[in-house]
Amino acid sequence: MARRHREIGKAGWGYTAMTTVVGFIYFFPVFWIILTAFKTRTDALAVPPKLFFTPTFDNFVSVFFRKSITTGTSQATDMALYFFNSIFIAGVSVTAALIVGTLAAYAFSRYPLRGNDTYLFIILTTRMLPPIVVIIPIFLMFRLSGLAGSYWGIILLYTAFNIPFSVWLVKSFFDELNPEIEDAARMDGATERRVFFRFCIPQILAGLSATFVFGLILTWNEFLFALLLTGVETRTVPVAMARTMGGEVGVDYGLLAAIVTLFLIPIFFVTFLLQNQLLRGVTFGTVKK
Amino acid sequence: MSELRVRNLRREFGSVVALQDMTFDVADGEYFCLLGPSSSGKTTTLRAIAGLEELTNGSVEFAGQDVTNAPVQGRGMSMIFQTFALYPHMTVRANLAHPLLRDGQSSQAVKKRVEDVAELLRVTHTLDRKTTTLSGGEQQRVAIGRAIVRQPKLLLLDEPLTNLDAKLRHDMRAEFKRLHRELGMTMLYATPDQLEALTMGQRVGVIQDGKVVAVGTPRDLYQMPEDLYVAQMVGSPPINFLQTTASADNEVSLPFLPGPIGAPGAGSGQPVTLGLRPHDIELAQDGSPRSARFKAKIHLTEPLGDVTVIDVAAQDATMKMVLREEVAAQYTVGQDIEVAFDPADLHVFDKNTGARLGKGANQ
Repeated sequence: MARRHREIGKAGWGYTAMTTVVGFIYFFPVFWIILTAFKTRTDALAVPPKLFFTPTFDNFVSVFFRKSITTGTSQATDMALYFFNSIFIAGVSVTAALIVGTLAAYAFSRYPLRGNDTYLFIILTTRMLPPIVVIIPIFLMFRLSGLAGSYWGIILLYTAFNIPFSVWLVKSFFDELNPEIEDAARMDGATERRVFFRFCIPQILAGLSATFVFGLILTWNEFLFALLLTGVETRTVPVAMARTMGGEVGVDYGLLAAIVTLFLIPIFFVTFLLQNQLLRGVTFGTVKK
Repeated sequence: MSELRVRNLRREFGSVVALQDMTFDVADGEYFCLLGPSSSGKTTTLRAIAGLEELTNGSVEFAGQDVTNAPVQGRGMSMIFQTFALYPHMTVRANLAHPLLRDGQSSQAVKKRVEDVAELLRVTHTLDRKTTTLSGGEQQRVAIGRAIVRQPKLLLLDEPLTNLDAKLRHDMRAEFKRLHRELGMTMLYATPDQLEALTMGQRVGVIQDGKVVAVGTPRDLYQMPEDLYVAQMVGSPPINFLQTTASADNEVSLPFLPGPIGAPGAGSGQPVTLGLRPHDIELAQDGSPRSARFKAKIHLTEPLGDVTVIDVAAQDATMKMVLREEVAAQYTVGQDIEVAFDPADLHVFDKNTGARLGKGANQ
């Protein structure tokens, strides 16, 4: 008997179960971190690991306030500043890269230069090297120019690193658009500026959102450059996180998990906010419109 | 007045010459069709007239002014694109209103005009929907509406029916004619479909390799094609071609005919191509004036409903002919049939140059 065609919209229980299992495997590390954030130090280190325990918020409190061992008084940590740094640096640099990248992508797509592909290739080469390789020349550049440790320095660096990604991704969205729509707008009296802002940009909003979120995730989690190029005042959360490890009392897993949990919230929030756009963005051009 | 004068347009894309030497005129208020196969330069011509294409050479004059280097905006032209090119992020209402926004009209006037146009094109019920939710026919109507809402002096149409199904194409042909009559604007319509060009155009320009090779009324082009190319571009089913050599001055022989027939313009020994319209071949009947009779075998029948196109073979020549369905029903494939044509209906072309030599003995 010929195998029957499966109706769209009717996934069998088997498929659903399988997807759930795979989904759980992906989510498990995140789940475990969040769980650990609510555990006491003893629970966090218990063998075998505990699934059921009495939750505590102590870890979250100690992210921002630390009791002095000697005096017993509570003292604010610098973590709030680091969270601000992460949000500020990632937000500004990803937004800047998206703006520059979108303008460049439009130019590459609509007004190709002689040797267009070569330029696009050159832009991408910075992303081909592992960061560890480029860190030395960049470190020297930052030392010489006095950018090391400043907001401007790290923002500039992240922007520069995000631009190739933005240009490539956004260019592919512009390439997908029907150029006759732009011509129609011109014939209807729209200026070039209006064609770009009122006719091209609204059509690729989903793609721009996707580019923004991907760039944000990459930048938000970046560690190596932040470690070497930020100062005490401009330190980002990933670097601060690493510094909580070690010390005289060993790794405080509960505290670390609490920082990570808080660290996940902004990304979760942005991703959920843009979820619908994001799905459309990543499937742009692959589905017939 | 909004007459269009297109002179010697040339457009090169690298080594590819899209337009060679495009020259034609469209009179004020005329419905002019450009007929040519795909990539013959129709779209490039329309885009050049609209100002969307930079020209290597040539000039465009519109309403008495040279607009060759004028900006796209403000030429007083509208265009309907092959893909409709509706603004997907806007509602139908916003699509229709967009061309009016820059004219400084009051929002009341814009609203009124949009609603009038929507009514004219019967898309009022879609006004507040996004264009992506419309059917093909509705999209086409909105595209027309957007093009005419500003009452342009010249409407350019780039294969606007290509993306529609056959039934809708038929309806829209009538719709375009109606709009032309009601709005009285100059229309330039590009199409690869000879049926569209012949049914809609007051005059038709036939394009070959980026230049206009013939201009005339549909009737002229059909009855007196200037060369082989025009003859085969115009008419459906396509014209039959028969290769032979003139047996004497103004005379040719065909292997399946008993005697020579008249072929005005052909010199003795000259290789010629004879063109014979499928509609000019009929069943042989006693007493009919059609003097060239011959026997042929039926190869293929294509019933079209009211008529049937029949492929017949006489010796090594194959020809198409058209019979009324009830007559054709009496014949089957493989059967012999006796047919006839009037030599006066023959079109005589020079085989080497393709140029017309004459038409039939009576012309």
